[in-house]
Amino acid sequence: MKTNEAMKVLAAYRGDAVVVCALGTAANEWWAVTRSEDSFYMHGAMGFAASFALGLAVTIPDTPVWVLNSDGSLSMNLGCLLTEAGQQPKNLKHFVVDNQCYQTVSNMPMVNRDGADYAAIARGAGIHRAISIDNAAELERKMPEINAAPGPYFIRLRVDAEPDYRRPPPFSYEGPEMKYRFGRAMEKKLGIKVFGPTGF
Amino acid sequence: MSVRRREGGVQVLQTVDVNDQIHAQLVKAGVRLAATLPDDWLNGLIRRVDRDNDMRHIPVGREAEAIAICAGAFFGGVRSAAIIGNTGLLTCTGEMATLCLRHAIPVFCVVSERGSIDDHMIYQEVQGRRTIPLLQAYDFPYRIIDSADEIETIPDAYEWHRLQKRPFVLFLTKKLLGLKKS
Repeated sequence: MKTNEAMKVLAAYRGDAVVVCALGTAANEWWAVTRSEDSFYMHGAMGFAASFALGLAVTIPDTPVWVLNSDGSLSMNLGCLLTEAGQQPKNLKHFVVDNQCYQTVSNMPMVNRDGADYAAIARGAGIHRAISIDNAAELERKMPEINAAPGPYFIRLRVDAEPDYRRPPPFSYEGPEMKYRFGRAMEKKLGIKVFGPTGF
Repeated sequence: MSVRRREGGVQVLQTVDVNDQIHAQLVKAGVRLAATLPDDWLNGLIRRVDRDNDMRHIPVGREAEAIAICAGAFFGGVRSAAIIGNTGLLTCTGEMATLCLRHAIPVFCVVSERGSIDDHMIYQEVQGRRTIPLLQAYDFPYRIIDSADEIETIPDAYEWHRLQKRPFVLFLTKKLLGLKKS
């Protein structure tokens, strides 16, 4: 399946979930499909979107939190699976968009691209619900169960490498503005205080 | 560590654990989540955090996870601290820059001042010489706490780091932590 197809299915089943996107293809396609401001699009710290999402998930336990990770990012921080398993956050779903390449740097091949089973790695780390999905129809079929099951839940989405990918980041805002738009969206959506009375 | 206090008009000497004091000031600052990775100078503080049922303790496998977890907690409206060793701090300055500087997210780091003049572990010497120049290069503010009477400045340091909107490092010295000379 194309990444964009996968994002369209996820968007249809998102419900109230707050979404954290790893830098790169997953973030770009999620923005293209949703334009959502109650999603956080990480601009750096490749590998650590999952850790960011865990920190968010444990602080808002009544709200579903999704992380849209990627194979390249996961490979930079496989230890995040141990930490996630150690916390067992019931509200966290961990999607990994696996195109077997570093797409946004001209589709250079992923390390051990044909030999890794990320769902098995997640199970080995202690995340008992971990599956692999290969096409959009299967993803559509599985989403009700994924939404209903408690987290942590790891879902590897096998997508196609696309030579004609979105090169410039598609977002109309960046860096600090991302912080304030997302933080204000959290305040409005959840009734929490992210910023103090004078804005910091 | 001993402190003097008055009890029924009589001055008494009371032993107070430094880790209890640091933990109490973190609580006073509003910290409700701690992401930690052990360093042998910090194990007492980490154990103290772990005993606090009102503070979420997240042990991590790599220090940069602690930075990102605290950054995520910020958006859940929860005050947090990353409690890590100096060596670990060096490993995650890239993530501190590309996540926290890029997005202007404050993260409060409590770090053992390994490699100090009284730390004679050979594998800590580079950290002792290069950590502070590296923090200065990134423009990450820091403060070194060396005596018990400075511990009560932690809530001020916490407020100050929020308005700096970037990572902040609170170093705890060997003398403060009451450790024997190595």
